[in-house]
Amino acid sequence: MTAPPTASPGAASIGPVFGRRLPIAAGVAGVVGLIAAMVSPPDFVQGELVRLMYIHVPAAWTAYLSFAVTLGASIGWLWRRRPGLDRMAAASAEVGVFFTGLAIALGSIWGKPTWGVWWTWDARLVTTALLFFVYLGYLALRRAIPDPLVRARRSAVFGVAAFAQVPLVHFSVLWWRTLHQPPTVLRPGDPSIDHTMLAALLLNLVAFTLLWALLVRARARIAAAQDRIDEAEPTRPLAGDAVSAPRLEASDV
Amino acid sequence: MSSPTRMGLSRYRLLAVAAVGVLAVLLGLLLFGNLNRNLVYYLDPAEALAQQADYGDGRRFQLGGLVEEGSVTTTADGVRFTVTSTAGPDGTTIPVEYRGSPAQLFGAGIGVVLEGFWRGPVFASDTMKVKHDENYRPPESEST
Repeated sequence: MTAPPTASPGAASIGPVFGRRLPIAAGVAGVVGLIAAMVSPPDFVQGELVRLMYIHVPAAWTAYLSFAVTLGASIGWLWRRRPGLDRMAAASAEVGVFFTGLAIALGSIWGKPTWGVWWTWDARLVTTALLFFVYLGYLALRRAIPDPLVRARRSAVFGVAAFAQVPLVHFSVLWWRTLHQPPTVLRPGDPSIDHTMLAALLLNLVAFTLLWALLVRARARIAAAQDRIDEAEPTRPLAGDAVSAPRLEASDV
Repeated sequence: MSSPTRMGLSRYRLLAVAAVGVLAVLLGLLLFGNLNRNLVYYLDPAEALAQQADYGDGRRFQLGGLVEEGSVTTTADGVRFTVTSTAGPDGTTIPVEYRGSPAQLFGAGIGVVLEGFWRGPVFASDTMKVKHDENYRPPESEST
């Protein structure tokens, strides 16, 4: 008699979606990163505009990270068939699409004052736009397949194959002539950046990674709760009892 | 009857958005990014000189290089300068007449990608993009 009957399955065991410590850590890291970006010196060519790097670059790196996790979780699902890995792959891809879009938008805002244009058809920008739309296609594929097992299998294959674009995006600035500059940090040898600026960049990278972890974890938890509801009520009516399906009547035809 | 149909449509709507997006990027690349007709983003000064005969009839292409030190002069409707392939004195150079206001970071020594065409031996340009490099450091006066 002590335990009340659970009205909605899973509601008691979801726990907080965002957790407690990770939001605080992400918030503190965000504030530290913002301060670091503001007190770091201006650039000898770009002046104050260089501060856009401290959010553009972490957004792009976080997008790479997302799709790498989707790759890992997809391989893991194909190997172990654990539903949690499928949810992890989906959550990470969704957050990755967000950060890819953010990197494109911030790059555009940075490009206008430095390059003089919002957009140009160089290899880095085109491959990044394709990355965005292809992973949007991954999310669309997940929506289009109702059966969980078929969805998990097809999206796992998609998640593995689509990752080939990430090295394509990263090395596009080396393989083709582009307006976008080549890598500063992720390259052989010493990063070609002043080390106080590098420190500010790395602090912002930590902040973005914590935000990424927070969002992916929350999304995976919501997906887990949704799965529990779907399992408990497999034949739930779409619009409840208020709407009844219309019936054909002989006089109307 | 309409609700399952609408469900089906919304299920595929995002797929359509993704497919249209991919096609739009590829189409845009072919229509606007294919200025040099070989998907090379820009020609360097040596290539532009070598292929000058191919671009005779005012055909537009993108020329990329560095703005030579001490070559920038302002004209009535723009700037005149020399684009060089290397920072040193022994690079291949092309004189450029640019119409319009130069980009914000334009100046001697910086990389530029110019859209324009040959007018005799001069490259006449009306669209300028600045190509900054991957080096970041404070200005000399503030460096320790």
